[in-house]
Amino acid sequence: MAIKTGRYGEVRFDPTGVGTPAPIPVVIALNGWKASFKTNYEDVTCFQDTNLVFVPGLKDVSGTLGGFWDSTSVVLFEAADAPDPGWLQLTPNNTEPTFFWSGKAYLDADIDCTVKGAPKVTSTFKAAASWTMAP
Amino acid sequence: MIGLLQADATLTGLLADGLYIDVAPPNAKQFAIVSLVDELDDDVFEGRVVEDVLYLIKAVELSTVPTKNIKPAAARIDALLHRALFLAPGYREATAQRERRLRWTEVDEIDKSIRWAHRGGHYRVMATLT
Repeated sequence: MAIKTGRYGEVRFDPTGVGTPAPIPVVIALNGWKASFKTNYEDVTCFQDTNLVFVPGLKDVSGTLGGFWDSTSVVLFEAADAPDPGWLQLTPNNTEPTFFWSGKAYLDADIDCTVKGAPKVTSTFKAAASWTMAP
Repeated sequence: MIGLLQADATLTGLLADGLYIDVAPPNAKQFAIVSLVDELDDDVFEGRVVEDVLYLIKAVELSTVPTKNIKPAAARIDALLHRALFLAPGYREATAQRERRLRWTEVDEIDKSIRWAHRGGHYRVMATLT
């Protein structure tokens, strides 16, 4: 294991929501993704406590995807219209394909088209079931 | 893009000494120059997808030439390139648009009677790779 470039990052999405073991299609024309695994904490600080005290709630899994509009792949926009969540798999570097986060997610999609530049797409996702980190 | 300009008989008819990249040959008096100003690549996870290139493209003319063509030459360059959509080997497509019009006169430092007119602009070419 080593620190590796994000150049070989990868986003896979299965609109059926099944995910592995079947191959999950790669979403093309993306150049970035972010995921957040922040746990909500409840402040339970009481009288005579000498510092703030918290108890953990549940972890929020959400994030963003970004790239360019490519008419040969409208996966994100189809996902935004889908009533059911798909299976999202996020890999930091596909030369280490066994390391990824995955789970069911709802996606939305945005497109930013201006006269000066290639149209850019962004998407945010939210977990629709429990997510796991592999391996 | 240079091929597109060179293939236009109207433009080449207005530029007696031709079209060049960066520098014209000695003794050229009426010509066009294409030079690279800036270039930025856009990448996705699969590789490079867009080359975004800013060119300076201008007609240049010495004040002593018998037939003054600099205005129609600059206008022809703009007509050929601004909002043009063209194909190039290795690219899916390329588009061009002018971002800035440029116009200035250069006076020779030694002989003040020698003047060079420059007319053209900054043209951004965005090429999508196959």
